Amino acid sequence: MVLDWLSIAILSALAGGLALAGGPLLLALLLAPKSKGRALKDPYECGMEPHGSAWVRFGVNYYFYALIFLAFDVDVLYLFPVAVYYPSAEGLGAFFAVAVFLAVLGLAVLYFWRKGVFSWPRRIRV
Amino acid sequence: MAPADPGVVPAVAEQTPPFVNIRLANQFLDVCRAMSLWPLTFGLACCAIEMMAVGMARFDISRFGAEVFRPSPRQSDLMIVAGTVSRKLAPAVVRLYEQMPAPKWVIALGNCAISGGPFYFEGQYGIIEGVDKIIPVDVYVPGCPPRPEGLLEGLFKLQEKITGRRWWPRPAAK
Repeated sequence: MVLDWLSIAILSALAGGLALAGGPLLLALLLAPKSKGRALKDPYECGMEPHGSAWVRFGVNYYFYALIFLAFDVDVLYLFPVAVYYPSAEGLGAFFAVAVFLAVLGLAVLYFWRKGVFSWPRRIRV
Repeated sequence: MAPADPGVVPAVAEQTPPFVNIRLANQFLDVCRAMSLWPLTFGLACCAIEMMAVGMARFDISRFGAEVFRPSPRQSDLMIVAGTVSRKLAPAVVRLYEQMPAPKWVIALGNCAISGGPFYFEGQYGIIEGVDKIIPVDVYVPGCPPRPEGLLEGLFKLQEKITGRRWWPRPAAK
């Protein structure tokens, strides 16, 4: 039987959940008086008038520091298990794997170097 | 009524009645609303201290269902104007009132909110002389500042205004 009691229970619980979520919204729509007004639809709710557009460009300076954190700190974090495993590794396969990993992260460091991050400027040119 | 003040724009207080306008349902909902008024967290001057005292344990407005002070006008239906409304702040008060959803009420707490209080004198230029010049007020609670019991009594009056009957015993006369 496709529709056994468990399915019916699940479906009725689903319907009950939908009714409990949507019912109050529907009731409020039907039973509540409605405000009208100038500021009713304003997105900002602290009494002040919003001005300017929300679509402004932010200087994401901190993004560089987050990436440097990845390049140095998280890098070293992953090297700990490598260092534990390395003495028991056989052949040159492990060496090349670690070399590729470090080379990719080294490219990131080179990128930051090129951007002039390591002279610690007050504002990084993106 | 004083002559119209060009610098002060009153709030748009227009409301449309509910879609399903049944008398019995409205009465039931009014009792529900009156027993759980959600005030807007917002104090303008020293009367706000009394409002805070009302929220604390000693006077405990939660006994009467109005302890849920909301930080957003979208979630509140009661505005307690606690303090002096300066001319600079009046647009913000108006905007907050306009942003509250429809069944909404206002308590003017203290003499400043009622009439300007001690700041009402000839030639003053900084104070709105009564918040009812910019938003419609339902209950006035006089005092400078009113005692917390005064605000509670104002809440009772508002509940009486909403539901048509008084819900709490009157204090015994001594």
